[in-house]
Amino acid sequence: MTTEAAPADGDPRRLLSDLRALTRRVRLDQRMTWTALLVLAVLTLVAIPFDWFGMQVDCAADGSCTFARRGMLYYWPAAMVLAYATIAVCYLRAARTRGLGTRVLPYAITGAVTTIVFPAAWLAVFLYFRSHPYPDQPLPYWYFVLDRLVMPWGMIGVALLVLVWLERNVGLLLFTAGYLALVLLVLPMDFGMNVGFGPPHIGIRAGMALPQLFVGIVLLLGAAGFARAGRRRQQTP
Amino acid sequence: MTDSAHPVLGLDEVVHQRVRLGILTVTHEARRVEFGYLRTQLELTAGNLSKHLSVLEQAGLIAVEKGYEGRRGRTWITLTAAGATALSDEIRRLKQLIARVEPARATGTAPKPQEAS
Repeated sequence: MTTEAAPADGDPRRLLSDLRALTRRVRLDQRMTWTALLVLAVLTLVAIPFDWFGMQVDCAADGSCTFARRGMLYYWPAAMVLAYATIAVCYLRAARTRGLGTRVLPYAITGAVTTIVFPAAWLAVFLYFRSHPYPDQPLPYWYFVLDRLVMPWGMIGVALLVLVWLERNVGLLLFTAGYLALVLLVLPMDFGMNVGFGPPHIGIRAGMALPQLFVGIVLLLGAAGFARAGRRRQQTP
Repeated sequence: MTDSAHPVLGLDEVVHQRVRLGILTVTHEARRVEFGYLRTQLELTAGNLSKHLSVLEQAGLIAVEKGYEGRRGRTWITLTAAGATALSDEIRRLKQLIARVEPARATGTAPKPQEAS
């Protein structure tokens, strides 16, 4: 950008193009995509032992089992608050080091809302089935998608969408679309309740742990990919 | 100025300058920007940037805050509400100018002199 005054009869298109380029550079310098994905990956992977050891499994002599994922209920709300606070602080510190401010409030609000949604949905379902019988017909497909959306992994996808908007990041949009498709539509969240090895209480726990492991690895790979892309961008003159 | 007047008439001389527009744009996007970052992005000398910042500060479009981080002095610039309005007005005028010029270019006719004045 040169220092001359923009003459009134100058090319406004070029001026606007220069301003757009400046805006793009600022947005790129504000990005910390890989940090957010890394924190969310760690959050997901650390949840596995909480879910495993906090799960209450009761099996009858006929082989039928019931289970309650108490560990998740205690772990996720607190962990989500901590994770979103960590991400917000990392964004602010990194931007400040680079000589910039940044917007984290929409992300913090989304983090707070998504933190509430999961235990609220769990409580709603719990209260509903206290006074209503369990349905004997198969539940509609949309119910499963909604159920997966309000789970912590679905809520991570929603928070990533807000990050896409804040960073105006097309790469992250594509990643998030793939992630949400995986979590909501593709990945079985219980691997049929039992992966088929060991006694039922081990099999059920493993069946719940595997999808979480898969989601954690996907987020880790995303973090590595965005970190590499960021480094490559910084090296490009 | 009425809506039918040529957009050039509405351009603010303080804002309608490449560097000052750049300062306002970066500050708007970043919310808060440090002097050194602006100097690097706009490829200016410290003295030149300071002059432009003074013009914008006197016009009430930015606020300048000086402080220390450790032993290092740092100057932070924030956009005022008037600055945000001035920037959006300027961009709107520039878009109007482009919209006025484009049909003339497409039909191969030059704008009338009284329109360009």
